[in-house]
Amino acid sequence: MQRPSRPMKRRRVYVRRKVCRFCADKNLVMDYKDADLLRHFITEHGKILPRRITGTCAKHQRKLTTAIKNARIMALIPFTSDHALERRPPRR
Amino acid sequence: MKLRHYETLYLLHPDLNDEERQERADKLQKIITDDGGQIVKVDPWPLRKLAYRVQKQTQGWYVCMEYAAPASTIQELTRNMRLDESLMKFVTIKKDDTFDPAVLERAKQEAEAKAAQEAAEAESGETAEESADTANETADAGEDEGKE
Ligand SMILES: [Zn+2]
Repeated sequence: MQRPSRPMKRRRVYVRRKVCRFCADKNLVMDYKDADLLRHFITEHGKILPRRITGTCAKHQRKLTTAIKNARIMALIPFTSDHALERRPPRR
Repeated sequence: MKLRHYETLYLLHPDLNDEERQERADKLQKIITDDGGQIVKVDPWPLRKLAYRVQKQTQGWYVCMEYAAPASTIQELTRNMRLDESLMKFVTIKKDDTFDPAVLERAKQEAEAKAAQEAAEAESGETAEESADTANETADAGEDEGKE
């Protein structure tokens, strides 16, 4: 491992900077009907993952929360894992 | 009246038969067209498992309806959907404040292309199934890679 040239101010420098999936892939449409896509952005309990984990940009995170909420209303994804009919395998 | 571009997804009770589901679809579409709106497309999904129980049911029929309508139609549509107990859930989203009629033409072309593809697949039914199986296998093999 290389020593940084400047003194480190923050401890975790080695966190990989993730890029927003929706910015990276212009063909990827934000759609509340696409449960398989939305599953990548919620925890196994069904909670919305924060941007710092998924790397989603602020603009797309706002759209994402709306999409997730619509998908929950329509029973496409669970509100919480307590009510879920199917236990999903943990996210990788 | 000014048309806006909307989409409504609704969920029907799993016990409804083909005819009953068609009745619902026709009724909702009529409300839209009677108000001067236009249907872009209606996409019924196959019977699908729900993420949680709704009216004690574990599955249901989803139908996605895309259309152009004046804003006032949405109220009437919503009122009708609330009255129907076999319509378990629905959500309406505004796709655009204005409606571009080119959307209609594009939807028509897409529908034609889809129909042609389905006809071609039905013709070579067995070969299509075989290739689908091999596609699944390759997908499974590449499953474990977490990093790129
Ligand atoms: Zn983005």
